[in-house]
Amino acid sequence: MEWTNDRSIGLSIVFVYVFAVLLLAADIAAPFLLSWSNRLIPSDPSHGTFALITLYSASVFAWICLVLLRMLLRNLRASEVFTAENIRLLRGISWCCAAVALVFLISMLYFIPYFVVAAAAAFMMLIVRIVKNIFQQAADMKSDLDLTI
Amino acid sequence: MKIIVNIDVMMAKRKISAGDLAERVGITPANLSILKNGKAKAIRFSTLMALCHELNCQPGDILEFQDDAFGTAGSL
Repeated sequence: MEWTNDRSIGLSIVFVYVFAVLLLAADIAAPFLLSWSNRLIPSDPSHGTFALITLYSASVFAWICLVLLRMLLRNLRASEVFTAENIRLLRGISWCCAAVALVFLISMLYFIPYFVVAAAAAFMMLIVRIVKNIFQQAADMKSDLDLTI
Repeated sequence: MKIIVNIDVMMAKRKISAGDLAERVGITPANLSILKNGKAKAIRFSTLMALCHELNCQPGDILEFQDDAFGTAGSL
């Protein structure tokens, strides 16, 4: 079986759906997981409520991010690569990562190890932002090329 | 300050239609329209050469530099 670009995009779409299922499972299981972890490592009961707020706040942005990724992959499959819409989608994904980083940064007030998640999300934001900048430059070059007769 | 494309003037002088010219030059009618309407950002030497050949003219007959803000045809 030959590995084509279309198949690669198809695999990415499958991963997006896998992450969507995992996120849904995490959303449903979050209260049970937190109460279970509280039984294992007893802590301040208010921390559980804070943790739920943190997880569900981050989850909202993760859902938006997955939808934007799915839209981006749909455009790539349609061979619409360096377009203004894709740049807008990448910008959205970047801001979602920034929002998640901010949520976990604030959550460090009650749980310091969230710093790791905040740093990872911030780093992801940086990567996506640079990819967006590359797309922007490429879109400008494509526009020049399209209008060169 | 811009470059004016006077293809339509030369086409009228040579009595050639846009479709015919596009076919002879080897570009699509859509691209010829972009050129005529001044939406093009650049023109390849090969395209300019083919246009000059088909219209039997010099590049200066097709392209014109205009120093003011107003033009009569499309700008490149």
